[in-house]
Amino acid sequence: MLAKLKAATFEVLETMFFLFPEGLEEDELVPAQGPFICTWVSISGPQPLRLGMIAPQSLARKMAANFLGTQEEAVHKPEIEDVLKETTNMTAGSFLSKLEASSAFHLQTPHARWLTPEEEKQKRPANRLRFDVDGELLELFVERDT
Amino acid sequence: MAYNVLIVDDSAVMRALIRKVLVISGFDIGQCFEGANGVEALGILENNWVDIILSDLHMPQMDGATLVKEIKNNEVWRHIPVVLITTEARPEVINPFMEMGVKDYIQKPFRPETIKQKLTGILGEGIGADAGEIESCDF
Repeated sequence: MLAKLKAATFEVLETMFFLFPEGLEEDELVPAQGPFICTWVSISGPQPLRLGMIAPQSLARKMAANFLGTQEEAVHKPEIEDVLKETTNMTAGSFLSKLEASSAFHLQTPHARWLTPEEEKQKRPANRLRFDVDGELLELFVERDT
Repeated sequence: MAYNVLIVDDSAVMRALIRKVLVISGFDIGQCFEGANGVEALGILENNWVDIILSDLHMPQMDGATLVKEIKNNEVWRHIPVVLITTEARPEVINPFMEMGVKDYIQKPFRPETIKQKLTGILGEGIGADAGEIESCDF
Protein backbone atom coordinates (compact mmCIF):
# COMPACT_ATOMS: atom_id res chain seq x y z
CA MET A 1 0.00 0.00 0.00
CA LEU A 2 2.86 2.39 0.83
CA ALA A 3 4.44 1.74 -2.58
CA LYS A 4 1.21 2.95 -4.24
CA LEU A 5 1.15 5.99 -1.97
CA LYS A 6 4.75 6.75 -2.87
CA ALA A 7 3.98 6.53 -6.59
CA ALA A 8 0.93 8.77 -6.13
CA THR A 9 3.02 11.33 -4.22
CA PHE A 10 5.67 11.44 -6.93
CA GLU A 11 3.01 11.85 -9.60
CA VAL A 12 1.28 14.76 -7.90
CA LEU A 13 4.41 16.65 -6.85
CA GLU A 14 6.12 16.30 -10.19
CA THR A 15 3.06 17.10 -12.29
CA MET A 16 1.54 19.97 -10.34
CA PHE A 17 4.51 21.48 -8.52
CA PHE A 18 7.60 20.67 -10.60
CA LEU A 19 9.09 19.29 -7.39
CA PHE A 20 11.07 16.07 -7.42
CA PRO A 21 10.99 14.38 -4.02
CA GLU A 22 13.50 11.83 -2.83
CA GLY A 23 12.36 9.03 -0.58
CA LEU A 24 13.98 8.95 2.86
CA GLU A 25 14.69 6.04 5.14
CA GLU A 26 13.24 6.21 8.63
CA ASP A 27 16.58 7.14 10.19
CA GLU A 28 17.57 9.79 7.63
CA LEU A 29 17.32 13.29 8.99
CA VAL A 30 16.18 16.37 7.15
CA PRO A 31 15.92 19.67 8.97
CA ALA A 32 12.32 20.76 9.47
CA GLN A 33 11.35 23.89 11.35
CA GLY A 34 7.79 24.51 12.44
CA PRO A 35 5.08 25.48 12.43
CA PHE A 36 3.79 22.59 10.37
CA ILE A 37 0.63 22.13 8.40
CA CYS A 38 -1.18 18.82 8.49
CA THR A 39 -3.80 18.15 5.82
CA TRP A 40 -5.84 15.00 5.50
CA VAL A 41 -8.75 13.49 3.66
CA SER A 42 -10.96 10.64 4.78
CA ILE A 43 -11.69 7.85 2.33
CA SER A 44 -15.02 6.25 3.08
CA GLY A 45 -15.66 2.66 2.09
CA PRO A 46 -15.50 -0.91 3.34
CA GLN A 47 -12.23 -0.09 5.12
CA PRO A 48 -12.32 3.61 5.96
CA LEU A 49 -8.92 5.23 5.57
CA ARG A 50 -7.38 8.60 6.25
CA LEU A 51 -4.60 9.88 4.03
CA GLY A 52 -2.64 12.93 4.98
CA MET A 53 0.52 14.92 4.72
CA ILE A 54 2.61 17.04 7.07
CA ALA A 55 4.87 19.81 5.82
CA PRO A 56 6.79 22.64 7.44
CA GLN A 57 5.34 26.05 6.65
CA SER A 58 8.34 27.00 4.52
CA LEU A 59 7.90 23.99 2.21
CA ALA A 60 4.13 24.42 2.15
CA ARG A 61 4.58 28.05 1.12
CA LYS A 62 6.96 27.01 -1.66
CA MET A 63 4.48 24.40 -2.88
CA ALA A 64 1.64 26.91 -2.90
CA ALA A 65 3.75 29.43 -4.83
CA ASN A 66 4.73 26.80 -7.42
CA PHE A 67 1.12 25.68 -7.76
CA LEU A 68 -0.22 29.18 -8.26
CA GLY A 69 2.71 30.39 -10.34
CA THR A 70 3.44 33.28 -8.03
CA GLN A 71 6.11 34.51 -5.65
CA GLU A 72 6.38 32.97 -2.18
CA GLU A 73 5.95 36.40 -0.63
CA ALA A 74 2.53 36.66 -2.26
CA VAL A 75 1.25 33.45 -0.68
CA HIS A 76 -0.60 33.60 2.62
CA LYS A 77 -2.04 31.08 5.05
CA PRO A 78 -5.43 30.60 3.34
CA GLU A 79 -3.77 29.84 0.00
CA ILE A 80 -1.27 27.51 1.66
CA GLU A 81 -4.11 25.63 3.34
CA ASP A 82 -6.13 25.41 0.10
CA VAL A 83 -3.18 24.20 -1.96
CA LEU A 84 -2.11 21.58 0.59
CA LYS A 85 -5.70 20.35 0.94
CA GLU A 86 -5.99 20.08 -2.83
CA THR A 87 -2.63 18.29 -2.96
CA THR A 88 -3.81 15.77 -0.40
CA ASN A 89 -7.04 15.31 -2.34
CA MET A 90 -5.19 14.69 -5.59
CA THR A 91 -2.76 12.30 -3.93
CA ALA A 92 -5.66 10.35 -2.45
CA GLY A 93 -7.39 10.18 -5.84
CA SER A 94 -4.22 8.99 -7.53
CA PHE A 95 -3.66 6.51 -4.69
CA LEU A 96 -7.14 5.03 -5.16
CA SER A 97 -6.61 4.78 -8.92
CA LYS A 98 -3.32 2.94 -8.40
CA LEU A 99 -4.96 0.61 -5.91
CA GLU A 100 -7.73 0.01 -8.46
CA ALA A 101 -10.07 0.51 -5.56
CA SER A 102 -13.73 -0.24 -6.11
CA SER A 103 -16.41 2.39 -6.51
CA ALA A 104 -17.32 1.78 -2.87
CA PHE A 105 -14.45 4.07 -1.85
CA HIS A 106 -15.14 7.79 -1.87
CA LEU A 107 -13.04 10.82 -1.03
CA GLN A 108 -14.45 13.15 1.58
CA THR A 109 -13.75 16.85 2.06
CA PRO A 110 -10.09 17.53 2.93
CA HIS A 111 -9.12 19.30 6.16
CA ALA A 112 -6.14 21.33 7.35
CA ARG A 113 -4.69 22.03 10.76
CA TRP A 114 -1.55 23.87 11.83
CA LEU A 115 0.73 22.03 14.25
CA THR A 116 3.35 23.33 16.63
CA PRO A 117 6.73 21.53 16.52
CA GLU A 118 5.72 19.69 19.71
CA GLU A 119 2.44 18.52 18.19
CA GLU A 120 4.28 17.42 15.05
CA LYS A 121 6.72 15.34 17.11
CA GLN A 122 3.81 13.58 18.80
CA LYS A 123 2.19 12.70 15.50
CA ARG A 124 4.06 9.66 14.27
CA PRO A 125 1.67 7.50 12.21
CA ALA A 126 2.79 3.90 11.72
CA ASN A 127 2.26 3.87 7.97
CA ARG A 128 4.15 6.91 6.84
CA LEU A 129 6.51 7.90 4.07
CA ARG A 130 9.19 10.54 4.38
CA PHE A 131 10.48 12.61 1.50
CA ASP A 132 13.23 15.14 1.00
CA VAL A 133 11.66 17.90 -1.08
CA ASP A 134 14.13 20.63 -1.96
CA GLY A 135 16.02 19.96 1.31
CA GLU A 136 12.87 19.96 3.46
CA LEU A 137 10.87 17.18 5.03
CA LEU A 138 7.48 16.12 3.68
CA GLU A 139 5.64 13.29 5.39
CA LEU A 140 2.73 11.30 3.97
CA PHE A 141 0.66 8.88 5.98
CA VAL A 142 -2.23 6.51 5.53
CA GLU A 143 -4.10 5.07 8.46
CA ARG A 144 -7.36 3.48 9.46
CA ASP A 145 -10.05 6.12 9.93
CA THR A 146 -11.75 5.28 13.17
CA MET B 1 -13.69 33.30 -32.05
CA ALA B 2 -13.39 33.75 -28.32
CA TYR B 3 -14.93 31.07 -26.12
CA ASN B 4 -16.60 31.76 -22.81
CA VAL B 5 -15.54 29.23 -20.20
CA LEU B 6 -17.19 28.29 -16.91
CA ILE B 7 -14.93 26.72 -14.27
CA VAL B 8 -16.76 25.00 -11.40
CA ASP B 9 -14.68 23.87 -8.44
CA ASP B 10 -14.99 24.44 -4.71
CA SER B 11 -11.26 25.08 -4.46
CA ALA B 12 -10.38 28.68 -5.27
CA VAL B 13 -6.75 27.73 -5.89
CA MET B 14 -7.76 25.02 -8.35
CA ARG B 15 -10.01 27.47 -10.22
CA ALA B 16 -7.10 29.91 -10.39
CA LEU B 17 -4.80 27.19 -11.68
CA ILE B 18 -7.23 26.05 -14.38
CA ARG B 19 -7.77 29.63 -15.47
CA LYS B 20 -4.00 30.11 -15.75
CA VAL B 21 -3.58 26.89 -17.70
CA LEU B 22 -6.29 27.97 -20.13
CA VAL B 23 -4.50 31.23 -20.75
CA ILE B 24 -1.10 29.67 -21.36
CA SER B 25 -2.66 27.01 -23.55
CA GLY B 26 -3.26 29.71 -26.10
CA PHE B 27 -7.00 29.38 -26.55
CA ASP B 28 -8.96 32.42 -27.46
CA ILE B 29 -10.73 32.82 -24.14
CA GLY B 30 -13.50 35.35 -23.95
CA GLN B 31 -15.01 35.57 -20.50
CA CYS B 32 -13.89 33.12 -17.84
CA PHE B 33 -16.61 32.57 -15.23
CA GLU B 34 -16.06 30.79 -11.93
CA GLY B 35 -18.44 28.97 -9.62
CA ALA B 36 -17.68 27.26 -6.33
CA ASN B 37 -20.47 24.69 -6.70
CA GLY B 38 -23.36 23.61 -8.89
CA VAL B 39 -25.74 26.24 -7.55
CA GLU B 40 -23.36 29.05 -8.46
CA ALA B 41 -22.74 27.44 -11.85
CA LEU B 42 -26.46 27.36 -12.66
CA GLY B 43 -26.75 31.01 -11.66
CA ILE B 44 -23.98 31.90 -14.07
CA LEU B 45 -25.59 29.86 -16.85
CA GLU B 46 -28.90 31.67 -16.28
CA ASN B 47 -27.33 35.02 -16.99
CA ASN B 48 -24.45 34.42 -19.36
CA TRP B 49 -23.51 32.72 -22.59
CA VAL B 50 -21.11 29.84 -21.89
CA ASP B 51 -19.36 27.73 -24.55
CA ILE B 52 -17.76 25.07 -22.37
CA ILE B 53 -17.96 23.97 -18.74
CA LEU B 54 -15.06 22.52 -16.77
CA SER B 55 -16.41 21.02 -13.56
CA ASP B 56 -15.21 19.22 -10.47
CA LEU B 57 -17.29 16.36 -9.06
CA HIS B 58 -17.19 16.76 -5.30
CA MET B 59 -18.54 20.12 -4.21
CA PRO B 60 -20.73 21.34 -1.36
CA GLN B 61 -24.34 22.50 -1.89
CA MET B 62 -24.61 20.97 -5.36
CA ASP B 63 -22.14 18.39 -6.62
CA GLY B 64 -21.03 17.67 -10.16
CA ALA B 65 -23.53 14.86 -10.69
CA THR B 66 -26.52 17.05 -9.91
CA LEU B 67 -25.09 19.90 -11.95
CA VAL B 68 -24.66 17.67 -15.00
CA LYS B 69 -28.24 16.40 -14.61
CA GLU B 70 -29.56 19.96 -14.45
CA ILE B 71 -27.60 20.94 -17.53
CA LYS B 72 -28.63 17.92 -19.56
CA ASN B 73 -32.29 18.43 -18.62
CA ASN B 74 -32.29 22.01 -19.87
CA GLU B 75 -33.13 22.61 -23.52
CA VAL B 76 -30.80 25.59 -23.80
CA TRP B 77 -27.80 24.25 -21.89
CA ARG B 78 -27.85 20.59 -22.84
CA HIS B 79 -25.57 21.14 -25.84
CA ILE B 80 -22.85 22.94 -23.88
CA PRO B 81 -19.92 20.53 -23.63
CA VAL B 82 -19.07 19.54 -20.06
CA VAL B 83 -15.59 18.31 -19.15
CA LEU B 84 -15.02 16.87 -15.69
CA ILE B 85 -11.81 17.78 -13.89
CA THR B 86 -11.58 15.31 -11.08
CA THR B 87 -9.31 13.46 -8.71
CA GLU B 88 -11.38 10.31 -9.16
CA ALA B 89 -11.11 8.91 -12.67
CA ARG B 90 -11.86 5.28 -11.95
CA PRO B 91 -14.22 3.84 -14.60
CA GLU B 92 -16.90 3.13 -11.99
CA VAL B 93 -16.93 6.83 -11.15
CA ILE B 94 -16.57 8.28 -14.64
CA ASN B 95 -18.67 5.96 -16.79
CA PRO B 96 -22.05 7.04 -15.39
CA PHE B 97 -21.17 10.65 -16.27
CA MET B 98 -20.15 9.71 -19.79
CA GLU B 99 -23.51 7.97 -20.18
CA MET B 100 -25.20 11.17 -19.01
CA GLY B 101 -23.57 13.03 -21.88
CA VAL B 102 -20.42 14.47 -20.35
CA LYS B 103 -18.00 15.13 -23.18
CA ASP B 104 -14.73 14.10 -21.54
CA TYR B 105 -12.77 14.12 -18.29
CA ILE B 106 -9.36 15.23 -17.07
CA GLN B 107 -7.81 13.59 -14.04
CA LYS B 108 -6.00 15.64 -11.44
CA PRO B 109 -3.05 15.91 -11.37
CA PHE B 110 -2.93 17.13 -14.95
CA ARG B 111 -0.39 18.69 -17.23
CA PRO B 112 -1.30 21.88 -19.11
CA GLU B 113 -1.00 20.10 -22.43
CA THR B 114 -3.68 17.64 -21.35
CA ILE B 115 -6.20 20.45 -21.00
CA LYS B 116 -4.99 21.90 -24.28
CA GLN B 117 -5.49 18.60 -26.10
CA LYS B 118 -8.94 17.98 -24.65
CA LEU B 119 -10.24 21.44 -25.44
CA THR B 120 -8.71 21.38 -28.90
CA GLY B 121 -10.63 18.21 -29.63
CA ILE B 122 -13.90 19.49 -28.22
CA LEU B 123 -13.90 23.06 -29.46
CA GLY B 124 -12.10 22.21 -32.67
CA GLU B 125 -9.67 25.06 -32.36
CA GLY B 126 -5.92 25.02 -32.93
CA ILE B 127 -3.39 26.44 -30.57
CA GLY B 128 -2.74 30.13 -30.65
CA ALA B 129 0.38 31.17 -32.50
CA ASP B 130 1.91 32.70 -29.41
CA ALA B 131 1.18 29.77 -27.13
CA GLY B 132 4.76 28.54 -27.31
CA GLU B 133 6.00 25.43 -25.63
CA ILE B 134 3.62 24.59 -22.84
CA GLU B 135 6.22 22.35 -21.17
CA SER B 136 8.44 25.34 -20.58
CA CYS B 137 5.77 27.62 -19.16
CA ASP B 138 6.33 28.60 -15.57
CA PHE B 139 2.92 28.59 -13.94
